[in-house]
Amino acid sequence: MNTPRVSDRQLALLEHRLAAGGLGRRDFLRIAAGLATMSAAGFNARSVSAAPKLGPGEKLAREQHLRWGGGGNWQQDPASHDFNKDLYCTGVPALFAGLMRFNADFQAVPDIAEKISTNADGSVWTFVVRKDSRWSDNGPCTARDFEWSWKRQLDPATAAPYASFLYDIKNGEAFNKKQITDAREVGVRTKDDWTLEVTLEGPRGYFPVLAAYLAAFPAHRAAVEKYGDKWTEAANIVSNGAFALEAWEHNKFMVLRKNKHYWRAKDTTLEKVTIPIIPIAAGAIPYDNNELDMTLLQVADLRRFQSNPKTEKEAFRFPYPGTWYLLPQVTKPPFDNIKVRRAVAHAVDRENVVKVSQGFAIPAHSMIPPGFPGAVDDPKIRAIQKFDPKLAMAQLKGTPFDGGRNWPRIVLSMRDEALGAKSLAEAVQAVLLEHLNMKTELEVLEQRVFRERLWKQDLQFVWIRWFMDYPDPHNEYFDTFYGKKTTGKRQAWVNDAFDKELEGGRDTRDQKKRLAHYAKAEELMQTDVGYVPVAWVSRWAAAKNHVRGVEKNKQGEFVIDGNIYRDMLSNIYITEKA
Amino acid sequence: MAGGGVVVMLILIAVFADVLSPYTYTKTNFGRLNEAPSRDYPLGTDQLGRDMLSRMIYGARVSMIVGLGAQVIVVLIGVPIGALSGYLGGRVDLFLTRFVDVMYAFPRLLFVILVMSALGAGLLNIFIAIGLTGWVGIARQTRAQVLSIKEKEFVEGARALGAGFRRLLFRHVLPNALTPIVVAVTFGIPEAIFTEAALSFIGVGINPPTPSWGQMVGEGQQYLRSSWHLCVFPSIAIAITMLSFTFLGDGVRDALDPKLK
Repeated sequence: MNTPRVSDRQLALLEHRLAAGGLGRRDFLRIAAGLATMSAAGFNARSVSAAPKLGPGEKLAREQHLRWGGGGNWQQDPASHDFNKDLYCTGVPALFAGLMRFNADFQAVPDIAEKISTNADGSVWTFVVRKDSRWSDNGPCTARDFEWSWKRQLDPATAAPYASFLYDIKNGEAFNKKQITDAREVGVRTKDDWTLEVTLEGPRGYFPVLAAYLAAFPAHRAAVEKYGDKWTEAANIVSNGAFALEAWEHNKFMVLRKNKHYWRAKDTTLEKVTIPIIPIAAGAIPYDNNELDMTLLQVADLRRFQSNPKTEKEAFRFPYPGTWYLLPQVTKPPFDNIKVRRAVAHAVDRENVVKVSQGFAIPAHSMIPPGFPGAVDDPKIRAIQKFDPKLAMAQLKGTPFDGGRNWPRIVLSMRDEALGAKSLAEAVQAVLLEHLNMKTELEVLEQRVFRERLWKQDLQFVWIRWFMDYPDPHNEYFDTFYGKKTTGKRQAWVNDAFDKELEGGRDTRDQKKRLAHYAKAEELMQTDVGYVPVAWVSRWAAAKNHVRGVEKNKQGEFVIDGNIYRDMLSNIYITEKA
Repeated sequence: MAGGGVVVMLILIAVFADVLSPYTYTKTNFGRLNEAPSRDYPLGTDQLGRDMLSRMIYGARVSMIVGLGAQVIVVLIGVPIGALSGYLGGRVDLFLTRFVDVMYAFPRLLFVILVMSALGAGLLNIFIAIGLTGWVGIARQTRAQVLSIKEKEFVEGARALGAGFRRLLFRHVLPNALTPIVVAVTFGIPEAIFTEAALSFIGVGINPPTPSWGQMVGEGQQYLRSSWHLCVFPSIAIAITMLSFTFLGDGVRDALDPKLK
């Protein structure tokens, strides 16, 4: 089949849908990026199943049991596992399978559906459900289950908080808002047990992406009808994913058991997963004590891991694109003087500053981290703000601060947060003092106060980060620095030429020309010192040596389960010495 | 005596911090982060590669300034209120005592945190916050003293001789009430130091890069398992300071209070 082109208007609609569904832009355009990079095979692309690869002297462990969590994962008891009713129920996504799923590059690929087809304009989609698709009680999981589940989500009686997620379905919104009462008018119908036909409000080339998101998971009708809101308790739940819920001791732990009725069960090696519910403050202690096989790491933990040759190899980085930067407020002295801003830009010794992050940051010379679309590695741009203490001091000639004297009181503000933010800020303070004799006070503000003052552009000097919402330069520049932004604007700095480049990037279709616009924008912003890029974020997890099979994306980085990609557990296997 | 000796030493360290410390407290060495004690760095380095010893020496200065400075404010507020309340009696006394009671009822540390959140971090604001909450104890002590002294014969005598309000209060009553005030101030100093440490520990005290022991403990505690020296040394410094001021306070009380001899 040929994939219908997804127009910009449709993309805007998709974003609107997801936003109405409570999903942040961050998640949205990650998905949209998957759409954009989709291969010619379209939505029917198959992902290669990763068979366990065993080294010499190794064999698959007899007990395929993974204990996973901690470091911020499942800090609190899930509200339920009923994704069909509430996509933010914080349950375990691996319990369910949708018609589609996301691969490690965030592209939608078929899961329960074996064939997807559409009419010419993409307004009617037909999913052919796999005949071997089964629930964990061995009952068939058919197209009727999806029809019932999606109508359940849209039914006003269900009171699903994010039902608007499915408003693209014909009459979905009207039904949810009680404008029509007959569920048969909703555009989801089954032609037979295995064929689901979805009629939409109009052309929606992205619909399979929605179908891959966890809000489109099915719910088990008999269980829901029998147990109501308690249907996802361990004793009651029937699910259709790679794993089934064997036990759930509230506020203590959850135990998943491989669902042998799942159609890909033969590709799933793991038999059992234990997920304890532990507060983030416990850090990696449970992992150290051998109570976990895999965990997320916070700064202090990583440091300890890396100082020990045995645990050093267990820690690994995973992508979490974000950029730390300085905002010298151009409306506040001394930063109203461009020479001062340039001096600051040249005085930031990025190589040294990131050392204090102990691996949670790498030196940054622009907004977009390497490996993401729009990343610039132009020596010309690198040179604009390069670290050079002599050049930094030289900028101050002819200003009242010549030779690093006469600085007014300068307060560097940041928000109270983890990820080693404060150490990095203190390192920045140290290099500014060393190279410009600029003494700064560091002020750590409460999140709410910080945002309020930031958006009033009331802060003199700011230490801040931007986490990429979706891999497109539009997010890193337009959403962040566009001068005509009306809400959430962080900086008073405005530059018309820069804004024009951003508008160019937004309104151009040709990817090459777009990137040229953004590279020019970066150059303009750095020359005018609208910001000073300092460091790119990186994040870490750890897995014991016997845990294998964590997937990598195209950039060769490990990918960890989140609300988009959630295939990690199906790929993991445990090894032991042969 | 030992307490007094350590206190004198701490004050000397605070005064001569610039001379004593091997490095400036802001000097970083990014190549040597979180190092354990060595010959170059007798107490190791912190997470920015700064010398822990130098930072602790400068931290002593902050502690001493806070301890003494806050007590000045405490005395300036507490003594006049206590003296007026005790000396004048009647409605003034009733009003002031109730006010003191209300202030006393606030959990002290929480109130200080509240004041700090309102004013923002900084040395001056710490003075204000501790001063605003610390004066009630002294005010009560002073009032009690004044109440008993103003009935004494020598005060009656002075009054009979025609001494005015001011002369009576400042020449006769207050000097005789001084002993317990001095003792209270001595005990107040470590309390103020500890309050500052607590505030800096939770991050509302002194702004970096100015070092403070509490802040050092606060920043170091997350690395307790990998770099113990980051919070152990400043903790010891706080403990020693508290202990020596408490000993000093005991000593002062023993020396000044004839009843205990």
